[in-house]
Amino acid sequence: MQRQGFTRTAVLIHWILAVSILFLFLSSWWMMGLPLPSPDLQFRALPFQLHKNIGLTLAIFLLTLLYVRLKYRPAPPGDRKTGSQVHLLAVVTHVLIYLSVFALCVTGYLASAHTRWDTVFWWMIRFPRIAAPNEELNELWSDLHIYSSWLLLGLVAVHVTGAIYHSCRKDGVVRRMICW
Amino acid sequence: MIAPRSATASVPGWASILGVVVVVLGVFLTAAHATEWLKQSVLSANVPPSGIMPDADCPPAELEEEGISEAECEYLVDHVRGLMLASPDWFPAAMGTLAIMGTILAFVSVIVGGALVNHTPWASVAAIGVLGGLVLIDILQFGTVALAGPILRDAYLGNFFLWFLLHLMLVTGVFAGRQYDQKGSGESGPP
Repeated sequence: MQRQGFTRTAVLIHWILAVSILFLFLSSWWMMGLPLPSPDLQFRALPFQLHKNIGLTLAIFLLTLLYVRLKYRPAPPGDRKTGSQVHLLAVVTHVLIYLSVFALCVTGYLASAHTRWDTVFWWMIRFPRIAAPNEELNELWSDLHIYSSWLLLGLVAVHVTGAIYHSCRKDGVVRRMICW
Repeated sequence: MIAPRSATASVPGWASILGVVVVVLGVFLTAAHATEWLKQSVLSANVPPSGIMPDADCPPAELEEEGISEAECEYLVDHVRGLMLASPDWFPAAMGTLAIMGTILAFVSVIVGGALVNHTPWASVAAIGVLGGLVLIDILQFGTVALAGPILRDAYLGNFFLWFLLHLMLVTGVFAGRQYDQKGSGESGPP
């Protein structure tokens, strides 16, 4: 028999991802307005390292969430009156959110890998260099990182709109992810 | 595990809708307060001991990568210099402390918002407490910035006032919903 809601692990990871992703958006908009780095100006060092660390951690969380969701699939919500087009929109949005978060993690890491800055995961584990510094590739991956981020932001807006829609209908869909 | 459909239908509309709004705003506010905390930590930790900001370093390759002009690159340093000049000595510590408290309360509001959606018995009381706490944080942040001078008022005040209004509306909504529930149960209950 399928469980009715998502597992507690899936719920916990979902909300950690939500807060972390929004934090990465807000903090990155701010940190890109900090002075460019030089030996005397190190304003960007901590925010960039933190951004990379949280981003890499998100990739681990995302894979865990995907595993948990596929292994413990919840039963469909009790109310099946939602139109098939709305259901299709929800499925497409969810798939695109997973893909765009994963794309953000990968493009962010690859952009960083082509700079002269090393990645030290949570200031403990120094990642081996996978590429030499390369301005062109850094720009390419950075551009893809930014495009993915705009895509994700739009998808988050659709996702939140869906949550409000289901909440107003009181069809039990939202409660599947708020079961504490 | 989720409640069956009948239990879902018994949740009052106000609790279901306000709960989701509290959750969504709580997630956003947690991120916003955490960013403010980071902002104050980074700015105060990188102020040169002399208090004088060095000149901007704007190599052409970096400018191209960032997509900014040399004038914009210089402005990035001027902007930080301006913020430092505009901040009284007590400002980073005060804002940082309020941001930490705000981050924690905003995260708790996500949990409380979920409890409202589930119409947990303690949810409305907890929501009034947590949202009231966030109103207080908004007022304290507003006051802190209002005392800090015109440049920081321009940067912060509109934002803080909007959050204050949102939290005030939410706490009023939960308060009214709770009264409505009590009135409804009083009328339908035994004499």
